This record gives sequence, structure tokens and C-alpha cells, in this order.
Amino acid sequence: MALYIGTDVGGTFTDLWVSDALGEIRVFKSPTTPDVKTGVIDVLKIAAADRGISFETFCADIVRFGHGTTVGLNALLTGRAARTAVLTTKGFGDTLEIGRMRRQTSGQSEVELTDFALRNRNAPIVPRRLVFEIDERIDSKGNVIKPIDPTQARTALAGLIRANVEAVAVCLLWSTANPAHELTLRELVTEVLPKAFVCLSHELSPLVGEYGRMSTTAANAALGPIAGRYLEALEQTLRAAGMRVPLLMMTNAGGVLPTAAIGDRPAFTLFSGPAAGVVGSSVMGRKLGLSNVLTSDIGGTSFDVGIIAGGKPILRREVSVGGADIRVPSIDVDSIGAGGGSIASVRFGQLTVGPMSAGANPGPVCYARGGVEPTVTDADLLLGILDADNFIGGRMRLDTDAAARAMHDKIARPLGVGTIEAAWGVREVIDSKMADLLRRMTIQRGYDPREFTLFANGGAGPSHAWAFARDLGLHGFVVPAAATAQSAYGCGNADLGVTKECAAYLRVGPGAEPDACAVEAIDEALGRVAGEARVELVRAGAQGEITVERLLAVRFRGQSNVIDVGVDAARFDAGAFRNLANKFEGIYESLFGRGASYGGAGHEIVSARAIARGVLQPPAARAQGTQLESAGVRRVVFNDPAAPVETAIYKTRYPAPDVKIDGPAIIEFPGQSVVVPPRGSATADEFGNLHVSIAL
Amino acid sequence: MNGPDSGGTAVHPVAFEVIRSRLLAITEEMRIALQSVSGSPTVTEASDFFTGLFLPDGSFASMGFQVSFQAPVVGNLIRAVHARPTVEARDGDMFCGNDPFVGALHQNDIQLAGPIYADGRIFAWAGVEAHVTDIGGMDFASWSPNARDVRQEGLRIPCVRLVEGGRMREDILEMILTATRLPAQLNLDFRAFVATINVARERVTELVTRYGASTLSTVMQRMIEVSQKRVEERLRELPDGEFHVVDFLEHDGEANRLYKVDLRMHKRGARMVFDFSGSSPQAPGFINATRSGLEGGVTGALLPMLAYDIPWNQGVVHTAEIVAPDGLICTAQFPAPVGAATVETIWVVSNVCSQALNRLLACSPKYRDRAQAVSDGTMATFNLGGRNQYGEPFGLHLMDPLAGGYAAFAGKDGYEAGGPINSPAPAIADVERNELAAPLFYLYRRLACDTGGAGRYRGGASAEVALTLAGIDEAEALIMTHGAEVPNACGLFGGYPGSTVVQSWASGAAKNGVYSAESQWIHFGPKPGLQRMRIGDVFAATWQGGGGCGDPLDRDPAAVVRDCRNELVSRQAAAEIYGVILNETEFDAEATHTHRASLRAERIRGKCRTADCPPDVETIGEIGHALRLVRVGGEVHIVSRSGATLARGSTRWREGAIRAPFAPSRVLRLHEGLEMSSFYCPVSGELLAVDVHEKGAIPQDDIILELASLGSASQHST
Repeated sequence: MALYIGTDVGGTFTDLWVSDALGEIRVFKSPTTPDVKTGVIDVLKIAAADRGISFETFCADIVRFGHGTTVGLNALLTGRAARTAVLTTKGFGDTLEIGRMRRQTSGQSEVELTDFALRNRNAPIVPRRLVFEIDERIDSKGNVIKPIDPTQARTALAGLIRANVEAVAVCLLWSTANPAHELTLRELVTEVLPKAFVCLSHELSPLVGEYGRMSTTAANAALGPIAGRYLEALEQTLRAAGMRVPLLMMTNAGGVLPTAAIGDRPAFTLFSGPAAGVVGSSVMGRKLGLSNVLTSDIGGTSFDVGIIAGGKPILRREVSVGGADIRVPSIDVDSIGAGGGSIASVRFGQLTVGPMSAGANPGPVCYARGGVEPTVTDADLLLGILDADNFIGGRMRLDTDAAARAMHDKIARPLGVGTIEAAWGVREVIDSKMADLLRRMTIQRGYDPREFTLFANGGAGPSHAWAFARDLGLHGFVVPAAATAQSAYGCGNADLGVTKECAAYLRVGPGAEPDACAVEAIDEALGRVAGEARVELVRAGAQGEITVERLLAVRFRGQSNVIDVGVDAARFDAGAFRNLANKFEGIYESLFGRGASYGGAGHEIVSARAIARGVLQPPAARAQGTQLESAGVRRVVFNDPAAPVETAIYKTRYPAPDVKIDGPAIIEFPGQSVVVPPRGSATADEFGNLHVSIAL
Repeated sequence: MNGPDSGGTAVHPVAFEVIRSRLLAITEEMRIALQSVSGSPTVTEASDFFTGLFLPDGSFASMGFQVSFQAPVVGNLIRAVHARPTVEARDGDMFCGNDPFVGALHQNDIQLAGPIYADGRIFAWAGVEAHVTDIGGMDFASWSPNARDVRQEGLRIPCVRLVEGGRMREDILEMILTATRLPAQLNLDFRAFVATINVARERVTELVTRYGASTLSTVMQRMIEVSQKRVEERLRELPDGEFHVVDFLEHDGEANRLYKVDLRMHKRGARMVFDFSGSSPQAPGFINATRSGLEGGVTGALLPMLAYDIPWNQGVVHTAEIVAPDGLICTAQFPAPVGAATVETIWVVSNVCSQALNRLLACSPKYRDRAQAVSDGTMATFNLGGRNQYGEPFGLHLMDPLAGGYAAFAGKDGYEAGGPINSPAPAIADVERNELAAPLFYLYRRLACDTGGAGRYRGGASAEVALTLAGIDEAEALIMTHGAEVPNACGLFGGYPGSTVVQSWASGAAKNGVYSAESQWIHFGPKPGLQRMRIGDVFAATWQGGGGCGDPLDRDPAAVVRDCRNELVSRQAAAEIYGVILNETEFDAEATHTHRASLRAERIRGKCRTADCPPDVETIGEIGHALRLVRVGGEVHIVSRSGATLARGSTRWREGAIRAPFAPSRVLRLHEGLEMSSFYCPVSGELLAVDVHEKGAIPQDDIILELASLGSASQHST
């Protein structure tokens, strides 16, 4: 029978989501292995065994195989990337060192920013001695100011051989305006190092701004040999076992592409794991007819949030990781250090929770693995949310007494309150931090969180969602059927997607008519990226309808922040520019309030982007599941630490569509506990999602 | 429940933490609104702005992570509103100001503050401030070396209601915009200010609805109290004493005179007094700072140095008292010009404060690894104005000069082009972005060899640039700095200072973007001022490297090899300053050992003595890694690592060290009024200090600890 597969290789577990042609769905987990491939094969074998068929039959039945991984990310974070050289314009060889000064500050916490002794902890991804300068120069208009001298270039390239590099990143100033010199260098490099993985900046990240372009190209080059090898090996093994379809790789931007189309661009798949989680929620949102979804995921150490607005995940332009700022369109996943392992403490009479985490080892006090600092999980246990005897399906017994002792000694006593009140306080603080992040992610981008449906993923998400949803003024939340393997679900259900962008420049004074040639150049740029995206999608095997969305990055003249504005007109002309400017100002005012926009400043367009999508046939869906199994009652603290509430406890693996219960209740899944607060209720839908409503 | 005590309503600790986080989130939203809407690179790149929430008395309860000089400024505007009997702050109003004699740092720093009402009374204010490129005055960019009076500089706005009942007073705005050379850019900035205050008002009002105004007031007060308590706790861990440091700035716009900022910082228990009484009188030109500038400079050092892990608010500032009579370079009186205050006197005030605080930290085993030399002791100016390649009026304030070197710490190297510590996340634009937005063409932007201060831990190298025009025939350039003849980025405990600024010019040296090798370079002094720049003219600048830490002869030779390979240290400096003898690829261990020994011996030739510290003495304290305080009999001695007793009964250790003139290296240029001295251990020849001081003067003792306090402080630190 035809099988749809989604896999996600995380730091600890490799997840598998599988659906058969009848819509029967299963989720499996197996430990991630150092070589990654074995972990993937292991979990496939578990799934095959579950179906009672051989691994080979299982592989032969696969009609779609979506894949996400943190392999590249881990290679960067642990410095295991390939030995890489950078070639750049003479006079600018220190670009990676200088950066824009603000290297790697995105996503830093309060303390990381204010503690100046912590600055610049990561060295650039390519050390200075592996950067080689080439005597050439092109200006902002693409004019060759100084032609490339092959003799000088060959002399510089001799250093490459001595340095014994596996990969070469080429990033010259203004290669976006004129790629001739980068193309020449590729030929020269191939002459001396025929086996090296060569990467040109104008092809990979064709936008103005040499630091982002160089850093992205260098990271891509450094990952190329590694990611390529791993994907090839995995695909070969699967093909040898009988799989007939290509391996589809999840990209940062949330579409999948065959490895053949993306293998030389690993920077574009670096964040496939988190992106796939958001894609999963987006896919399920579409099935439920929801176009505005807030996705949240609470793991052991972090709380991750993504936004789907108007059916599309919100993207960001740049992400920072392990010494490299990588400028690749990526699904915007914001994160704070708040999870089950977040440590609570009291200093100077002040209760704080996170961002320090006890991690998985030693973990929360109740794990009894040597942890001594009380954590959010300990608080949840003391409040009755977690069952000491039925944690992760009963595979681990929790030590309630130890958790209570730690909560008392470290929190309750210094604050002068009871142990349960202290635990309640820990939860209040962490939940309000989560609400703050959700608020920041939405309001900052001009969205009202109350117009969104919240999806609660991850092990701890469904037990905290009722509290932060209420804080945000939401009437409820959804626990997706694949809440504990949302990224694998996303990989198995994503559409094909290609994003192409290029530099393009138009500058228009207030009220002025735009220059006709420049407008035509913009039209040409839009046409080019749209064409490239379409071609690449077809090459990736897209059949049927292909949609291409075209966007321009617009700002007021002199600003440094841009906003992406969609272009509807088939041809970009002066009239289309005026529409664009009006649309831009409308978006602007909705983001920053009435009166914030000022057309008198004039406008600039700085780049063009096209996003092409090709629909892949989704697996069929079928109602399945079982009724909830009643498992007694427990006293649980909701709003008042002094008055715990008698709460019904249920167990299930996959709730049937007609399931409906009233709160207060806790529904225990093997990897998560869904909390339904008093006066709330929960119903299951035909896909196995649980819809929890809460009374405000 | 007993949380931290404050006079107001009791607030549950959980509500406290929830509201505190929310207020910080609101401050962050204010920053995003400002940076997204503003059109000024000082705002969008250099973070030269401030957003914060205030109590009605002008104390700030939260601030964003921006240039820390700006922290106290908006509070002054709020106090000015309250102080005017004729002005009433009504709901929906916003007040604008920029007058350095009211509370701004200089006129380019425009502020907007709006009251937040609840139950018919003001319970908080939201405030924003940002540096704008031009606000009028005699010369472009509003800071002119030619100004002799503040009335020749940018427009002064004392305290004006710009928004009334939620509506912009367009007539007032028009009046302000009429003064500037860049009305479109400034208009965008004003829109950004209004957006910022609107964001704050909306979000705070939502909080009031949920928790009530009195709870919010109490939380804001308590945030301030908690930060103050935590800084005080830290201060009690540190020994008492006096820290005396001096830094200089040269050229006042009129003549190349030398000015001194002299700080005696007394620390006792949990209090600090910053006494600037010994500083130079105010200058005739634009380098002065008013008293609000002085407060900004002190705050700019206090926040990152002592509150690196403590929320930044007024409570941190409360721990310091400032003493300074009127009429000094840092307390200039009306009508002194102050246009360049931020990059001149205020910057130097911040330098001396960070030096004093770093010395304080260095005297505690718990904190000494955080002690740092001076980073990027100046910010040079290159402003370009005229008509750009698109035919529009433009004004560029180049942020590249921020990319000076980051200073070394007592336990690790500084880093290259890391910039100053007065901003948590400074940024400069890409070369390509500058070339696209402005009529510029870069010949290079790179790291400059030997600019990082030498030391056991090396200061970060500075960046350097060479620029010419592109797409236009000419423009007006304003070029100025301090620190071209003063090594402001001082080293610590024997580390060398980072390089001094070099600004040079070659007329017609570039043809079609290619630099011709035989062109004639003019070396500018610190303040050449306005220059007409024509196509083909090349301006080149190298800024200050970060100060080094510890004796360069103690640096790991492998690190020197790496520095040489990366062209951050020359082979010459490796041999002469670091004593490392390089061979083809590595260093020659034996030759290096011999060479270093001979350099050490040379330092103290003829003055060498033997160790005289008795064995088995009790160590009761430390100053950095090189000096120990020991008890000998009933007396405290200062002893070097080699056992030389340098002082008895006090920490004035220089009296027992060997002083010799320090010969400035190639990258250091000295004003004629300055000289430098080295201090060596008389037993080992270890370099203990490199001091910059007035010619003929004896370098001051920089660390004078109260010996009686040592026992109690070291107990705290365990």
C-alpha cells in the first residue's frame, strides 16, 4: 500500500510520521545516531515492523519521502564543517572579521547583550588565513573598474592548493551587479582544484550587502561537502532497499525540494527542522480552514513560536548560528529559553524562571538524576498537572518528594510562601513569558493575536497552552494529532517550494515619476526571479498547478528596514509602482500606527523575490482513534494555589472524532498531557486534533 | 508575601515578575518602532538613541539596549516639563526638547516624551531620544569647529509641546524642519518618535487595565530599588579606595590645545563619588559637555561595567554621586558651544570612568577577570553633505569609525573592530550599502596591522578605510576627532594603548576608482574641519585599537605567530614588542626565550635589585594578576610576582618600581603636551604599567586602596 513518509532528525530523536493510502497514521521515534543515516533507517525499520512488512517492502511502498534534519546546523555549531577558503576583492579580505560589527546578536537575551565580556564568542566561519584577495573591482552600477588579472589570480589561487581546502566560497564586491569576475574565478579555481566544492555568492545569495552574502556563501561552502555526502548516502541506501521516489528535503523557507535540486545549497536547508514544524501546523491549518495560526512548541529548554498569516508562514531574511550570519529566506521561528527544564530561582526577593535550563541531564529535580534546582517540570508535577506514575507513558517515574523539597528550599522559603504557591508562581511567570513572546511575534508584525488559532506542540506545550492562551485573550487552542512530531508531519505533508531573489534598485523622490529605465529593470528582475523559480520547480518534478508569488522589498528612502510587498500586476510599470507605494504605506501604518508613514521621504526598492509553489497530492485522511479511557481523578491547581480542583484524568493515544469532554480534565497522551481548565471543554476532530476551548 | 520592600502597595512577587517582563517587552517594542521608522543611520545602525519608561519624577525604570550615554537624558526633559509652571502635561500630549542646557547631550539629540495617564493623573512617562544628522546651525551636521557660542550651533528646543491631545502641531514641526538641511530625513525621524511613544502608551494602558496604575507604579519603583540593591551588593564585595585616572582630548576647534578630564573616584561601602574637580576649564570651541553630558558619560560606563547582569535603570545610577564645579570642560556654562560633546568630552568622561571601575574590579579576585583596558577611546567623524548621485540633497554620517578595536580583558584578548562598550549592539553598514545610498567608493575597508594595544592579552585591531567620491563631482566633508595625538584606548597593567587615530588625504589620487601609488598624502591633525572633497580626492582613516592587558613579553608566542599570520601584528612588532623570534612558519622557542630575557634585563639595566619579600607572608589581596598585597609584621606591602616589595603601608606601588620613558611606537602619535612612562618590576623587569601623562608631570598613583577595608571585602568575595 502507498506510504507517505515524513522524517525529522533532531538532536536527540529521529521522528517518523507515516500515513498509508487509507489515511491510517502512525508516529515513531528512535534515537538519533552520530552518522544520522542509521537513526533514519532504524526508525523506518520500526515502522515497517509495526506494519508487519519487511523493510524492503516498506521502502518500495513509499510514494513520498520528506526529510528534515539538523545535521548541517550541528556541523556548524560543533565546528565540523569542511575546510573552506574565501576569495574576495582586494582591500576587503577582513569582511568576515569586521562584519557589520553586530555579528551574531540576533536572538540574544537581555544578559547576553548587556554583558560585554560575552561578546563575540564565535570566530568567523572561515579564518582570515584562508581568505585570499583578488585584485579586481566592480562598482555599484556593474562597471568593471579594475579588470581581473588571471596571472595575479592564479598566484593567489596557488595558496588554495597549499591550504588543502575542500570547499571555496567566492564573494566579490558588486557581483550582484556584474557576475563576470566571479564566473571567471570559478573557472580558475576548477583548474587548480577540480574536486573542490565551489560556491559563487551572486548565485547563492544575490543581494546587495557583502557581509551577509559572504557569510552565507562561506557557510554554504563549508557545509556542501558534508551535507552532500550524507544525503547521497541516505538516498543510496533507500534506493538500494527499493524506494523509487526521490528524497525531498525540507528548506528553511518551508517547501520541499529533491536533494538533486538542493544538495549544493545546504544553507537553504539548515533550519529544516524548526521550519518543518511550522509547515506542519500550516498544512493542518489549511485542512481545518484556518488561515491564521500561531504555532508554539515547548520542549525541555526552549519555547519556539512561528506565525502563519493568511495561510503563509512569516519569513525572515537572516538567521545567525555558530559564527555565521546566514542570509537565506527562512521561516521566522523566534525562541526564548523557557521550557520544562527552565530553572526557577529567587534573588533579592525576586522570582525569576529561565533562561538557564537543567536540560535533559541532570534535568528537573523530579527526574532524580542529580538535579537540585527546581524547574518548570517540577512545578507542573507539584501542581498535579503531571502524573508521577504516567510520565512519557509510564517509562519514567517522577520523584514528587524531591521536587517538593527543592521547591520549598529554593523558592517557597525565600519568598515566604507555601510550596504549592511557589510552584504556582513559577508557572505563572513562565507562562507570562511565553505570552510575551507570542505577543511580540504578532503585534510587532502588525497582527492581533486574537485573530489567530493557537497550536500547542511539543511535550510541554499542551499542558501550558491554556494559561498563556488565556493571557493573550484567546478562546482556545488546538493540540495537533502529531503534536510531539510536528516537524516530521510537516516534512511528510509540505508542498514543493522554491524561493529566488535578486538585487534590484529603484529610488523615487516624493511625488516624482519613477525613472522609466529603472522601472523596466525592476520588471525584468521580477520576471527573471519568477522564471527561475518556475523552471526550478518544474525540474524538481512539479506537476499540475504552479503558483508564483512575486514580491519587492520596499522602504522609505534612507531607511535600513524593508517590508516585502506583493506585486499583483503582470507588468511592473509606473502605475504598478504607485500601487506598490500605496500598499507599502498601508502595511506600514498598520505596523507602526497612523501618522508613522511619511510619503514625503520618497521610496526605495532594494530587491525582488519570487516564491513558486507546486502542490503535491496530500495523503488521504480517515477518521480513526478510540474513546478516551477514564483514569480517575486528581487534585490540580489552576488559578488558586490554595484551592486545588478535583480533575478528571483520561488516557488516550489517538482520540476518536466524536470525543468531547468538559473541564477540568487532563488528557494524558504517551508524550504529553493536555490540560482542559475548569469551565473549558475539549473535542476531537476527524484528523485526531484536540480542540480545547477555555472560558475567558 | 514579602518581596523587596518599597513604600508603595504590596505587589505579589509573581505579578511583579510578570509586569517587569512586560515593561521590558514594551521598551523593546519601542525600539523596534523607532529603528523601523527612522531614516537616520545613527539610529538604524549605531543605535545612538534611547527608549524607556519613566516614573513621574523622571527616573527611568526600563531602557532598551542602546548607547548608554543617553540613559539619563529624557528624564531631564520630563523634569523640565514639571518645572515649568506655565506648562501642563495633558493626556495625549508629547513634549520635544534638545537643549543641552536643559538636559540633552547636544542639540543633535532630539527627545520626545509623553505622559501616560490613568485615573486622571500621570503615573508614568514614555520617552524616546535619537541622534539626528542635522538640526541647523552654521555648518552641516550641526557641529562646527568654528562655533564659539552655542547659538551658532543647531536649533535649541528647550521644552515644547509638539503633540497636543494626540495631534501633531504641524506648525511647530514646520518651524523645526525649516532649521535643518535634511528636512525629509528629520521629518521621518519625528514620525518615528511619535510612533514610538504611541506604542508605549497603548501597551502600558493595556497593562493598567489589567493590574491597575498603582500596582504598575509600585513595580516600576521596585525595579529601580532592586537594581540599586544589586549594584550596592556588588560594590560591598569590592575593596574601598580611591581610583585616580586622567584622560585627555586635543584641539578645541580653535587651536590644538590639550584638555584633561581628571577623575578621582572614591568608593566606600556601597557608594561611589565621581569627582571631576581636577579637570580643565571649559574650552572656547565645540568639544565641551554640559552637566547633563557629564551625567551621560558616567552612566555610560556604570551600566555596562557594574550592571552587566542587572537590569538597567535609574537604580544603577543612584549608586554614584558626581562632584564637579561649574565651568569645567565637562560642566561647561552657557553659552559655551557643545556641538561635538558626545564624541569629545562625554566620550573621554566615559573612558576615565571605565578605567576607574576596571581598576576597582581588578582588585577583587572574584571580578578581576572582567577587568578590561579601554576600548575604542574615541569616535572620529566623517560627515559628507551636498547633492548625491541621484541629484538629491543628502547628508551622510559615516558609522564606520565605530569599528575601532575592542580592548583586552585581564584573561582574554579583545577582538578586532569590536567598537566601544557604550552600546551593547553597535553596527556599521555594508560597504555596498554605503556605495549604493551615498556617492562613495571604497578603496579598502580592512583591519589595520599593529593597531591593537600590545599585551599579554592583545587589544583588538581597529578597522581602517580609504574612500573617494563616485557619481558626483564634489561634496562637503566634515572631518574631526580627538585621539589623533592622545592614546585614549589605554592599556591595563602593562598593556600598551591601542593606536591613535590617523586621518589622511590625497588630492586627486584616485582615477576612476583606482588609487595611484605616487600620490601625495597629507596627514591631517585631529580637526581639519570642513573640507571640500572633489572627485578623485581620497580620504583615509585608521581609528584607535583596543588597549592591551599585561606585559607583552608574557604573551603566548603561539598567539603572536597567529597574529602575524593574520597580519594583525607585524614581524617587527613581534620581535621588538613581544620579543618573539619567528622562523619560517612558527617561532624559535629558544631564541625567543633568550631574546625576551635580554629585553627584560635591558629595561632595568643598572637599577636591578633582588627580591626582598620575605617568604611565608600572608596574601590579603591582589591588584590584577601581577601585584599582591601581603601582610609583613603589622604592615601591608605591595609585592610583585618576582618578590620585589614596591610599597609599604599603602598601595602606591609606583614609588618602588623603575620608571623609564616609554618610546611611542609607530602607531602612537603624542601631542606636544604629553609624554608616556613605563613602570617595571625592579627584580624581573616585568612591565607593570604604561602611563600617558602631561609632559614633566609624575604619573598619578591610580589605585589607592583603604587597607583597613581589605579583610571585609575579601570575605564577601568568597
